[in-house]
Amino acid sequence: MAKRILVTALLAAGALTGLTGLAHADFDYGKFPGYTLKVKLIGGTQYEHLYTRIPEWEKLTGAKVDIVSSKNYFDLDKEIKQDIASGQITYCLASNHTSFAPQYGDMYIDMKPLIPADELAKYVPGTLAASEIDGKLVQLPRVTDISNIYYRKSLYADKANQAAYKAKFGKDLAPPETYDDLKNQIIFFAKPPNLYGTAFAGKDEGATGRFMEILRANGGDMFDKNWKPTFNSPEGVAALQWFKDIYDAKAVPAGTVNYGWDEIGQAMAAGQLAVDLDWPGFAGFYSDPTKSKIADDLGFAEAPVGTSGHHGGWSGSHSFSVTSACDNKPAAVSLAVFLTNDDSEMMEAQAGNMPTRSAVFDKVVKWFKANKKPALAAMYPIWEKSLDEARTPPLIPQWIEVSNVVWPQLQAAIVGQTDPKTALDKAAADATQIMQDAGLLKQ
Amino acid sequence: MNFLRSPRAIPYLLLLPAILVILAVILLPLLVSLWSSLTPYVLTRPASLYQFVGFRNYERLWGNSDFWWAFLRTLVFVTVALNLEMVLGLGLAMLVNQITWGQRTIRTIMMFPMMFSPILVGFLFKYLLNDSIGFVNNALYSLGLITDPVPWLVDGTLANLSIIAAEVWMSTSVFAILLLAGLMAIPAEPLEAARVDGCNGWQVFRHVTLPFLMPFIYIAMTIRSLDVARAYDMIRIMTNGGPAGRTEMLWTLIARVGYQNSQMGSANAMGYVSILLSIIFTFYFYRKLADARAFMGGAQ
Amino acid sequence: MTSITTELAAPQRRSMRKLRRRWLVWAGVVFAMIVLCLPGLWVVLTAFRPNVEVLARPTIWLPQNPTLENFLKIFGLLPQVQEGLPVAQYFLNSLVISVTSTVVAVLIGMAGGYAFARFRFRGKSTLFIAFMLSRSVPGVALSLPLFILWSRVGLIDTPLGLITVYLAINIPFTIWLTDGFFRQIPVELSEAAQIDGCSRWQAFWRVEFPLARSGLASAAIFAFLTSWNEYALASQLSRTVASKTMPVGLMDFTAQFTVDWTGMSAMAVLIIIPALILTFIVQKHLIAGLTFGGVKG
Repeated sequence: MAKRILVTALLAAGALTGLTGLAHADFDYGKFPGYTLKVKLIGGTQYEHLYTRIPEWEKLTGAKVDIVSSKNYFDLDKEIKQDIASGQITYCLASNHTSFAPQYGDMYIDMKPLIPADELAKYVPGTLAASEIDGKLVQLPRVTDISNIYYRKSLYADKANQAAYKAKFGKDLAPPETYDDLKNQIIFFAKPPNLYGTAFAGKDEGATGRFMEILRANGGDMFDKNWKPTFNSPEGVAALQWFKDIYDAKAVPAGTVNYGWDEIGQAMAAGQLAVDLDWPGFAGFYSDPTKSKIADDLGFAEAPVGTSGHHGGWSGSHSFSVTSACDNKPAAVSLAVFLTNDDSEMMEAQAGNMPTRSAVFDKVVKWFKANKKPALAAMYPIWEKSLDEARTPPLIPQWIEVSNVVWPQLQAAIVGQTDPKTALDKAAADATQIMQDAGLLKQ
Repeated sequence: MNFLRSPRAIPYLLLLPAILVILAVILLPLLVSLWSSLTPYVLTRPASLYQFVGFRNYERLWGNSDFWWAFLRTLVFVTVALNLEMVLGLGLAMLVNQITWGQRTIRTIMMFPMMFSPILVGFLFKYLLNDSIGFVNNALYSLGLITDPVPWLVDGTLANLSIIAAEVWMSTSVFAILLLAGLMAIPAEPLEAARVDGCNGWQVFRHVTLPFLMPFIYIAMTIRSLDVARAYDMIRIMTNGGPAGRTEMLWTLIARVGYQNSQMGSANAMGYVSILLSIIFTFYFYRKLADARAFMGGAQ
Repeated sequence: MTSITTELAAPQRRSMRKLRRRWLVWAGVVFAMIVLCLPGLWVVLTAFRPNVEVLARPTIWLPQNPTLENFLKIFGLLPQVQEGLPVAQYFLNSLVISVTSTVVAVLIGMAGGYAFARFRFRGKSTLFIAFMLSRSVPGVALSLPLFILWSRVGLIDTPLGLITVYLAINIPFTIWLTDGFFRQIPVELSEAAQIDGCSRWQAFWRVEFPLARSGLASAAIFAFLTSWNEYALASQLSRTVASKTMPVGLMDFTAQFTVDWTGMSAMAVLIIIPALILTFIVQKHLIAGLTFGGVKG
């Protein structure tokens, strides 16, 4: 009996310490009265909502935030490069992105020493790992992007379609599991000009990324360990052939080689596409009846796997970084953590973005269910699962430059100007030149 | 001091403010970027601005077929667009000149395309020419003129034509308004005299109106040939030089190399070679302008 | 048929021809206006329609459910839907920068144009060509060094910085235009005024300036529209609402993945309206130069 009381008391004491321990594990945002923190943020209607939390941080810490620039991300990248070039880094915090971060050299600091480990543990581990460059945490992730499948439920549920598909391919008509399935379904559903199987990003980093996704799903990669370009391997040729096949079959709009994300989104929302491998940011757009025609016909599925049995998982995160030139790094780090804490991430998630904090996923699904957004509630668990295999592009400064020699060749092959192998070989030769100039390729 | 007070100094004094502005805004940056074209300057590594590599960037350009294709394509684009704009602008100006009632409103409407920022024009035409949801294909389809969507921004010829069409739409009004002002400035007597002498409309145009207008035409051509680089924003949005480089102009190439790839040294070298293009046009039009003025017996 | 026409007297035949000609001219003008306005009109109409109509196939022209929602959104009057953008601020910046650079460019250009038109001096051709060539400098060669220079001098993100740059862009062009128009005005007019007792300066303001009004008006319209719609340099040299102009603000509607067409169109309408109004007003002076009347050519 006494032993039982002792054990209970010990347990209770342990629990109490545990509770108070938890209380101490709350991040300390610090106090910076009278300090003005200069920040450069990505602007645009998609991103501004989060900044309404800034006054809360100002009240919490006593500091003031001065937004010295607010631009779309292309212009912001250009601006930051100019700042580096002219030595004009007068701000402390800046918006960043995993695809762009490697270019900025040592402009940003490693934040790991300034944030307690238990706070960092609250972030999605894969996302946080992707935010590191050479082991340095140069950015705190804000929202993550990874692609999965949106599809038209009615087309898949249609009995005639199901019968025809089963007869043709011997499988049941269901959201595709492999890229081969996806290709078959794209060609199967296409009834131009009113309905196409899908549309894909045909230019800029989007095209290179989609190609890279299939390449990786097939077991290949852009570079090997020594930074020699390897995307012209058989897996790469197969990946490029995948695009060429659906283009030649006219299962995609002819203009897709010029499409950016917005055109694909517009086409899907207009009911022109059967299937769309696309980003979470579109879920809100597609499921809003005032903006899209397919709002009540939207299904979600995980992205397909390639011949290697894995997903391509092309992913990237928007983030915040703190500059080396900052004169009050703790304040900047404090704001970065604040803008990516559980409450901030909840706000981003409610808008349909993928949060970077593990706890938020379950919370936001409950919120969607309570607020009559069943589509988004159905989507999140699928997207969360797919983050397990999330992979960023190669985190090197030359990534954009390499991408710029790859996508024109992809286009050339898709429209039939050259064959896939020749196109990829030329791109690989150009990329090799770039890597050699950069001193990364050790030959 | 004495010189400054003399009447000979007047033209220089009149031109002084203009010279100062140009020096500050154009010349200094020009020298800096000329220097940078002789370096392996990379935007994100500022130290590279101080390494001298001589003409390496220019040598690399020599064998760069992408660059020369872009050069050629730009030359063709500028020539075709300018001539189209001039002819259409002249026609438009002559038409509007005949209107007496409501001319001010018509003139304002005529300048409508000039109110659009090139970026907006790029988005607009990209949308209108979208092959599946764009207006042009939908209209052609409804009228039964096509069965398959036309890939306006994909096919090599069509894409270049689309860009030219967008540029002509955007800038014909510039020619029109300049030529209209020129038409209005033509003194009435020569026109009256010609008609009294029995010339018909075409002869009056060819022998009286046109010579008076030539200086304005050449001024407008010169201005526009240097201004046409504004089309860069539009082209970047519409096709970004693609697909597969079919619509690559010097401007899209240079901007990509300089800002996205951060290779500023190479980009500036490209820029300087392309100045040749501008200089060719400018000198050509200046000679024509001087000739036209001499023909009219005007002040030299 | 022929009997009727031959019985018409010559003057009536002439006026029938004139009438037909007038109709043809009007038909031509209307057709041209339609072609010029149609694409732009789509933008204007889109500003008043809900997003789902933008995606329609076949394209809907007249908004079926016209709405002012897009304008309210960008002004921040519908906070539950979207944060507003500082559109009023952008507008003010655009106005200040464009008007100032236009007025100054026209004045400086007028001075320079007069110098080229009326004087002979050493280095005249060279200087003229130099002005022309200053416009041939490609944007990329200019933009980065200009940025570095401006940031050293502290002109980044200031209206003055943009005004100065726009001056450099517009001046060569106002000089050429005014030069062309001054040459049209016979020197004898000014000489006559000077014989009557005016100084050269007075002769200019009383005689030559009014006659060149159409040229100055067109120069002013161009300089204004160039500055009003300029994007590349404005986006580079501005940072915050202190100097951001409307075209730069337009890009706020392009997020990473989507283009907010309705929002962008609403913004575009806000950009177009002041330009239209100002153009309409300034045009009064375009025809002022018509009164060449009692002057011996």
